[in-house]
Amino acid sequence: MAAIATLNPSSRAAARGWSDLTIRNVFIIPTILFLIVFNIFPLLYSLGYSFTDFRASVNEPVKFVGLANYRELLSDPRIWNNFWVTAKYVMVSVFGQMVIGFGLALLLNRKIPAKGLITTLLMLPMMMSAAVVGLFWRLLYDPSWGPLNYALGLGDLAWLSDADLALYAVAITDIWMWAPFVMLLSLAGLSAVPQHLYEAAAIDRAGSWYTFFNITLPLVAPLLLIALIFRTMEAFKTFDVAYILSTQPTTELVSIKLYKFAFQEWQTGKSCALAYIVLIMVLAITNIYVKYLNKAKER
Amino acid sequence: MAVVTSSRKKAMNRVAIAAVLVIAIIFLSPLYWIGSTAFKPRSLATTVPPTVFFQPEINSFIKLFTKRVQLTKPVDPAVYEAAPWYEKRVYDGGERILRVGPNIQLSQYPNRFMNSLIVAIISTVIAVSMGTITAYGFSRFKMPGEADWLFFILSTRMLPPIVVAIPMYLMYRVVGLNDSHIGLIILYTAFNLSFSVWLMKGFMDEIPKEYEEAALVDGYTRMQSFFKIVLPEAVTGIAATSVFCFITAWNEYAFALIMTNRRAQTTPPFIPSQVGSGLIDWTVIAAGTLLFIIPVAVFTFMLRNHLLRGVTFGAIRK
Amino acid sequence: MLRRTFLSLSMGTAIALCSTFPSAAQAEELTIFWAEWDPANYLQELVNLYTAETGVTVTVQTTPWPDFQTKTFAEFNAKGDAFDMVVGDSQWLGAGSTGGHYVDLTDFFAKHKIGETMAPATVAAYAEYPGKSGKYWAVPLEGDAAGWAYRKDWFEDPKEMAAFKAKYGYDLGVPKDYKQLRDIAEFFHRPDEKRYGIAIYTDNSYDAMLMGIESTIFSYGGELGDYASYKVDGILNSATNAEAVEMYKSLYGFTPPNWGKTFFQESNQAITENLAAMSLNFFAFFPALANKATNPNADVTGYFANPAGPGGAQHAALGGQGISIVSYSKKQEAAMKFLEWFIKDETQKKWAELGGYTCNKAVLESEAFRTATPYNEAFYQTMFIVKDFWAVPEYAELLTQINTHVYPYVISGEGGSAQAVLDNVAKDWNATFKKYGRGG
Repeated sequence: MAAIATLNPSSRAAARGWSDLTIRNVFIIPTILFLIVFNIFPLLYSLGYSFTDFRASVNEPVKFVGLANYRELLSDPRIWNNFWVTAKYVMVSVFGQMVIGFGLALLLNRKIPAKGLITTLLMLPMMMSAAVVGLFWRLLYDPSWGPLNYALGLGDLAWLSDADLALYAVAITDIWMWAPFVMLLSLAGLSAVPQHLYEAAAIDRAGSWYTFFNITLPLVAPLLLIALIFRTMEAFKTFDVAYILSTQPTTELVSIKLYKFAFQEWQTGKSCALAYIVLIMVLAITNIYVKYLNKAKER
Repeated sequence: MAVVTSSRKKAMNRVAIAAVLVIAIIFLSPLYWIGSTAFKPRSLATTVPPTVFFQPEINSFIKLFTKRVQLTKPVDPAVYEAAPWYEKRVYDGGERILRVGPNIQLSQYPNRFMNSLIVAIISTVIAVSMGTITAYGFSRFKMPGEADWLFFILSTRMLPPIVVAIPMYLMYRVVGLNDSHIGLIILYTAFNLSFSVWLMKGFMDEIPKEYEEAALVDGYTRMQSFFKIVLPEAVTGIAATSVFCFITAWNEYAFALIMTNRRAQTTPPFIPSQVGSGLIDWTVIAAGTLLFIIPVAVFTFMLRNHLLRGVTFGAIRK
Repeated sequence: MLRRTFLSLSMGTAIALCSTFPSAAQAEELTIFWAEWDPANYLQELVNLYTAETGVTVTVQTTPWPDFQTKTFAEFNAKGDAFDMVVGDSQWLGAGSTGGHYVDLTDFFAKHKIGETMAPATVAAYAEYPGKSGKYWAVPLEGDAAGWAYRKDWFEDPKEMAAFKAKYGYDLGVPKDYKQLRDIAEFFHRPDEKRYGIAIYTDNSYDAMLMGIESTIFSYGGELGDYASYKVDGILNSATNAEAVEMYKSLYGFTPPNWGKTFFQESNQAITENLAAMSLNFFAFFPALANKATNPNADVTGYFANPAGPGGAQHAALGGQGISIVSYSKKQEAAMKFLEWFIKDETQKKWAELGGYTCNKAVLESEAFRTATPYNEAFYQTMFIVKDFWAVPEYAELLTQINTHVYPYVISGEGGSAQAVLDNVAKDWNATFKKYGRGG
């Protein structure tokens, strides 16, 4: 074990009670172990299965099939379509959330009567269960018995039955749910911008655009990136809303395909392989984000 | 000049406030729709044009808590007269309440609600406490390969729940944790832990080390200084983290759908299973949803002052 | 702070532990798993009588139809004992029996002569697997089949009748075949007036859409395949079946807007909300339409059996379920006792009275049953013409494959033609059967 640097190497704390090394280990190792046991171990478990023809629904002996599952999946245009749908969905819904969430935060970042209450109320959508949200938005979207089309004067617009529109309908619902999350993080960033910077800018007669791009944005950027990381990860994982709202092939996200493979058709081995492909993609995307994040923080 | 700027600023402010109000109304109207549906008569729940004004009633809540069945023939007037008021309401809706012997049969909603409370509270407490001490450990002590460990912790949150659900399901069936509270608590803790570590790490970094050093000089042990000095300083971060962990655990659907049945089923997969028979009874779903959002909304509202300062992830320089 | 945390933590764990294992202490408790619909509620009412008689608590646990299969098999494959009995769909028999999930009830059948008391069609469809093997895995519980509800007031409006006759050359009435069904749907389809022709199933998450298509295929005289030899080519993708799918697609053209993910609730709502002239549904969902409190049009709603195809054959898709004992249950004996009670004649009579569709021959044929509701007569007629989906163990895959190909064609016209789409399904089915070594 490498030597650890404490806050104050000459501190007398080490002489009393637990040593810093013990505390560090007691504080960190259980969490790491917990995550290894409940996240990494299952993954290794399923990595093994991804090379087999295992089906959890039958008691037949498991055969090793090598890379056949991966080959089959990657050469299946339908799977690629699932990825394409997911990518489109992630882009639309995360973009919408970032724009609306950050916009709301900019509007809210001033003296407003009952600001605390308004902020909490705006956060209500993200406090709801996605399953229930999906259920209700199906009612809202319906032209024959829902209020949305009537309120917006859209007539018979068939949100969820139109193959092209359905994905956007799902994304709108997701934006409604999660824009408040981006808003909250942006607000936290905005409210931490020191007031004297603005005052200095005002003295310099800086235009509001200039102030925004040179003072506000750079200071809020790290938190915006964090919001972006979390929302991208979550959007990639979306299952419940999409699953309940629509079953169009054009809204079949990767996680829905996975669910079908794993728990409807019981192609356990194949579903494990697909899970791995998804995992590698998300890891790659997040890695890129985190690099940018560290850069943004350093600036 | 200054006067002009400030009056322009004021006008800008008014426009912004108006815009906030408009957006808030747009955002909240679906919620109003859910809330008002809970108090609507069933026949008004799906009208076009939508019904906005109506005589509110609580029939949906009576139905939510009782086990009912569709009438196949009109109810006997004598039976109807003898029934208590709440049962009459159910009769009026074309249903009858089931009985075991003389006793009214209750629905499973209270039980599912209880399950949700148990699972969400316990997993939140564990995830937040483990996250807090781990964040402290990372923040104060050098750890070989620290950045890699932190990325590893974050990466555990990237997996779509379904990806984890498959091996977890297979493992749980071996150890018999399917359909148990403990199984679900472990899952949600694992789910929230990474988020909790990340959020708390940013917070811990912001607490000046000098506070602890002073305490150490005063004769505190490191543990004492952690409990007496650092934790009170970290309350804001802990509060914000708790809110997010609680929201996630409270609303999780995919795992609960696959892993729980009779014993440990939580409310999110249960509410859609109450869609009603033959025709969707939106009023009952709305009632169940409304009650279900109350704990999490109250919790968030109570901690609202900590939220803004608690979500900085250490990304804001002071 | 942390001390308090630990305290609440350990308390919480204690609560969780206590609430996790209470059922182990009380042996006198049985759980039946079924989907969420009226019959499950009627069954709960029925089993409450058993509780009153014996003190054994029986709970009917439900889940929405689209998740029913997934949830059941997730529990089966985990070898879980959450459910003692399952009221499983008829097409699960293959998977349930060969997978070892169901307890063999052959002896139970012989002992209680169930083959004689229950209607033969229901025994064959809900209990026996493989077909004609004499092995039984379930007790027929709920008979069901696809049928139609229609708006009598629209049909009997003299103005409409005259206009219809002028346009189509024959009298407006309950459709005798699919061509008439289509004509009537077209006739009443008036989007400008917010009135539409017909409501059909389109949900592709389980077997909903297939039930509608299957009814059409069977009435057209088609088959899904040779159930004995697993031959699919030329049967599933025959010209007849292609015609039937085309018909279903053309019916979709006369549905209300946003009709792309609809099942029984939407079908019923089409009647209650004055949207459609006719609506496809399983009979077991009709109580909601006969109920004045939930259907303002209850008095003017009529019912008819699935019409015949162009060749004169008349069939309907079979629904309905048998009740099976789960082999992982620790209370199989108690479950067996419950079944003994359930098959008694007086229980079956009570079951029908409460609203259940008994499969008991004597009760089914009784005058009292056939006139009990406005739709029971049509149900009774239909039960003679039912046909079922393929109960092979891998039917779930067959189902996904048919949904994958046929759904986009019916909804958005993707896939070229019905023939091309069915060819693709046949290809997938052949591959699936080959994978599991079925047939030659």
